[in-house]
Parts: sequence; structure tokens; C-alpha cells
Amino acid sequence: MTLLLDIVTTAAILFIVSAGLLAIFGVLEIVNFAHGAWLTVGAYCAVVTGGLGLSPWLALPLAFVAGAVLGGVTERLIVRPLYSRPQDAILATWGLGIIIGQLITLGFGRDVQFTENLLSGTIHILGTDYSLYRLFALAAAVAIGLGFALLLEGTRLGLSARAVIMNQSLARALGLDTTRIRFVTFMIGTGLTALAGVLLTPLTSVDPTMGVAWLIGSFMLVMVAGSSFGALAVACLVFGGAQVLVSTFISPILGGITVAVLSALVLRISSKGFARV
Amino acid sequence: MKIPSLIATVTSVMLASSAFAADEPIRIGVPVGLSGANSVVAPSVVQSAELAVEEINAAGGVLGRPLELVIADDASGAAGAQKAFDSLVYQKEVDVLISMETSAARNAGLPVVSRSKVPYIYTSFYEGRSCNPYLFVDAWVPEQQVPPIVDYLNAEGAKTYFLIGSDYSFGRGMLEFARSYVESTGGAVVGEEYLPMDGSDWTAIISKLKASGAEAMITSTAGGAPNVALTKQLRGAGVDLPYANLAVDEGTAKNMGADATGILISASYVTGIDSAENKAFLDAMAAKFGDELRTPNDLSVPQYEAIYLYKAAVEKAGSTDTKAVVDVLDDVSFTGPRGTIQMSKQHHAPLTMYLGQVQEDGSVKVVETFKDVDPGEQCPKL
Repeated sequence: MTLLLDIVTTAAILFIVSAGLLAIFGVLEIVNFAHGAWLTVGAYCAVVTGGLGLSPWLALPLAFVAGAVLGGVTERLIVRPLYSRPQDAILATWGLGIIIGQLITLGFGRDVQFTENLLSGTIHILGTDYSLYRLFALAAAVAIGLGFALLLEGTRLGLSARAVIMNQSLARALGLDTTRIRFVTFMIGTGLTALAGVLLTPLTSVDPTMGVAWLIGSFMLVMVAGSSFGALAVACLVFGGAQVLVSTFISPILGGITVAVLSALVLRISSKGFARV
Repeated sequence: MKIPSLIATVTSVMLASSAFAADEPIRIGVPVGLSGANSVVAPSVVQSAELAVEEINAAGGVLGRPLELVIADDASGAAGAQKAFDSLVYQKEVDVLISMETSAARNAGLPVVSRSKVPYIYTSFYEGRSCNPYLFVDAWVPEQQVPPIVDYLNAEGAKTYFLIGSDYSFGRGMLEFARSYVESTGGAVVGEEYLPMDGSDWTAIISKLKASGAEAMITSTAGGAPNVALTKQLRGAGVDLPYANLAVDEGTAKNMGADATGILISASYVTGIDSAENKAFLDAMAAKFGDELRTPNDLSVPQYEAIYLYKAAVEKAGSTDTKAVVDVLDDVSFTGPRGTIQMSKQHHAPLTMYLGQVQEDGSVKVVETFKDVDPGEQCPKL
């Protein structure tokens, strides 16, 4: 039972961490390699909230706003001129990630920071005592997934975004303001990533390089998932599950590379990955 | 009028420098990880070295000569250490190397030490058994750190242990020793698991720990991030076994808040040591550095004491000549914040070890003191 809970909650955490990256990649076809930096920014929002003596829950909206605003500035100044040169965009966002990391180091120091836990303790479920926070993370992942489904299927912005995903030039020819759609999508993606950074704080240490560890995993999952949130959920469940199984039954050291190895294998066999799901 | 005054200045500078030639400073090279993994702790090491040098110079130096620190960044790793050692020894021509470094940096620097024949006092705790005629160590090895913890847990009634670590030489070395010591005292190790150094997801290991029925756990992760992540996830999963952490320092434990409560740590230095020397040291550090003070710790205090040990050796030898200094380095002792230190045991030092437990308010309470723990057979050939 613990194993089952480990699998679904690990998948949930992977989903939370990669959702923002997928939003940006899906609509903009840009890989935001500053993704790890936005996770870090979000986590430091939790540090700031704690420092001001506010409830740790307030870090969630604060991080979303801070992430979105910073994302908006970045889109306007750095990413917008690079839409037609995705390779250069990788380089630019990677560099931006390094700069953000250094700025955080300058502001807060290199040391590990500490934040108040959002939820602590365990709950008795399915015959075992399980971390309450991990179950909350599962709920948060479902909420984020449903939120995106609603946004894409139920709003005007979602409709436009889907049009941009399907055929960008046609969307523009039909009079859609693709510049604005990209701008808003980038902001939502980075805001969500910063939010994910806050959600990570009860699980990891908060330091200027904390995002790097999550970047590669999210990147791999997004490559496999393409532009579909459904596919991302499936990828997180399959790969996260494999990671837990390998860690439990073979070795946690091999477990750490499971996501990367499986993603490479899946892409080798089918270049579309899970995107057809 | 400008030219004569210039000449006067030059003359006075020349006079001043010729006056100094008689007591040319003794140069102490400090290769230390100002960048990279050790960058969190390195500033505290530099500070305690600065205090030692300032105190010694104020009291008249060593053999009438002032001490001078030459600090070099070893980038916490092998490549950086090679450069740092080379430049300190061959360009700055230091008389001695005294430093707290990673094991990788130490191993990379040792060939330079052998070739150039410069005494080297290593001030970081480490996995043990590094032997070189010029190398002396005044910090602990596993034989000194682990037994206090296991003895204490045994006395508390623990018989089965679970070991968790980061996958690198220090992490594995410490836990290998812990395993053999647990087994030699009649306990059993029911699990031993590692995660890569940059790993952050301990989920599967924690589930194994909970399923193993262990009565105590000992962890030895890389310092900083992995340690914090593991502790948070352990507490999140409701693990409240007796928990000994071989890699957490007092300052980190203090900052971790409620999650750290109850953690057992074993160290040769904690700030709460009740001795006149320690109080004087802490006061002097606070007075010298004020707001900039980095909390003195188990890595910075040995650095302070090592400089005094070197001073004692030079005074006893009557010169800075390497052979003369190396011959007497194991005979001299210094009573500092950690007590009386003498590197008398195969170039290693018997040390008093403190078993501390993190309290709810974040302070570390010394629950047991182990006097003069022997480092064991580190370098039988020296």
C-alpha cells in the first residue's frame, strides 16, 4: 500500500514541477531552461513570506504573482525576439537561469534557507501512516491538471492557445493576437513554476541551486509529453512509478536515473513520445 | 619641493623594509574551498585563522617573526587544489600549509606536499587513513566520531540500525565504519541505502526504513541540501526513531527548526563547551568580527588550534626548517577551545568527543562527553 502511495505521490510531485514547463513548451515551442531558476524564485518567496512572519500559505499566491511578473518581463525582453530561433532561446534561458541563481546568491547568500512547513504530520490511510503533505501534493497536482483542462477547453484564451498550438501562422492569419497569447502563456507558465517551487519547500532544502536537480527530470518528461497535459500526467505516472519501483527493489542510485533513461528509450522508439495519448 | 620629499619617502620606505628583513614573516598557506561545496563553511575557517594570526602577532609573533596568512581558493575539488597548492608552495613560498579541505582536494594536494617537502596540517574531519610524512591531522576520523553515537544508542536499547547516506567516499566510508562498529557491539544493520549526492527524492528509502522495523537510524549525507531534504522528508513521513546525523553541524541544526529536534550529533567542538579557553575564544571572535561573524564550528576551531600547534612546533624546533618542524609536531600540544590537542597518535590526535542532542529551541545540549577518544591505527608506518 505504501508502495502505491509512493508511486502516485511521486508522480504528483513530478507533475507539479513540470506543468509550467509544459505550458510554455506546448504553446510557445520554446524550452525554458530557466525553469529551475523559477522553481528557486518560488521557493525563496516562501523564505520571504516566512521572514515577514506571514502564514506559509500566503507564499503560494505571492510566488504565482512574482513568477508571472518576472516571466512577463523575461518574455518581453529576452524570449520574444527568439521565437524563430528555438536553439538560441535554449541558450538564452539557460544563461538567464544562471543569472537568476547568482542574483539569489547575492541577495540571500549561498547557505541553505529554512521555511515553515505547509502541513506536517501523517494521516492513517489504506492501512498505513502516510505523510499528510504528500497527499496534499497529490490533490494539488490534480487541481493544477484540472485547472489547465478548464483553461484550455473552457476559455477564450484556451481556444486561442489551442489554435496557436495547432497552426501558428494560420492562427495569426485569422486575426488572433499571437503575441499576446504567447505573452500570457509565458506568464502563466512561469507563475505556475514559481508556485511549484513553494510546493517543493517542505520536501527539499532551499538554496540557490535547488532548481537544477528538478530541471532535467522535468525537461525529459515534457519532451515525452509534447504539448498535452494528459500525456504529461501519464508520463509522470509511468516514469515516476518506475523510479519508485527501481528505487525500492533494485537501488535508489539507479532509481535516480530512471526518468532520464526511460525518456530517452521512449523517444528513440517513438519520436512523439506519449503525445498521442 | 616635490622631489626632495619624494626621495625622503622612498628612503623611509627602504629603511622600513630593511628593518623588516630581519624578521621576515612566516607565511602560512591556507588552500580552502572559497567556492564550490565548501563555500558555506570556508569563511568561518578563514575567520578563525585570522584571529589566531592576529593574537600571535600581537603577542610578539613566532621566534620574533610575524605570521602572515596566504589564502588560496581550491574550489573544493582536485583540480583547484592542485593549482592552489602549486601557487602557494612555489610562487608564494609558504613555510607551512594549514587548511580545512575536501578529501578530493587534500588527495590532489598531497603530491605537491611530498615533492616540495612543506609541512601540512589538515584541519578537517575526514574518512581516515591518509598518511604522508609531512601530513598531520588535528580533527576527527570515524573511529572517534561513530562509537560515541552507537554506544549511546545501544545504551538506549537500540539493537537494529538503518543506515542512510549520500553516495560518495565520505558518506560511504562513515557508514561502512558504522556498520562494522554496530556489528562488533552486538547490534544488527537491517538496511543500508544510498542516494546520489545531488539526489533529492528519498521517498523509496524512507518507505524501506519504515518497513524494516529498525530501532535507530544513522545518516551520513553530503552536508547542506541533501541533509536538509532527507530530514524534512523523514519528518514529513512521521519517522520519529532515534536519529543520529553524522553530517549535520550545530548551525544547520539550529536553523532547521522543529524538524531537527531530537537529532543526535557527535563532534569534537560545540559552541557550548564549558571552558575558559572556549569562552575567551568565542569572545575574541565576536569582538573581532562583530556582525560578520560566522558561527565557529567543528571545522573552523581545529584550524585555529592548528596555527597554535605550528607556532609551538616552530618554537620548539627553533626554526621553520621542515625537517626540524615535522620532527617535533607530534610532541607539542596546545590547549584551545576543544581542550588540549596533541597530534601524537600516528600524526592524528586523540580528541574529546561531545554527543549533543538538538533541543526544541534549536540549541544543542551536550548529553554525554567522551574523554580523549583514540583515533586508532591510522598510519601504523609513520
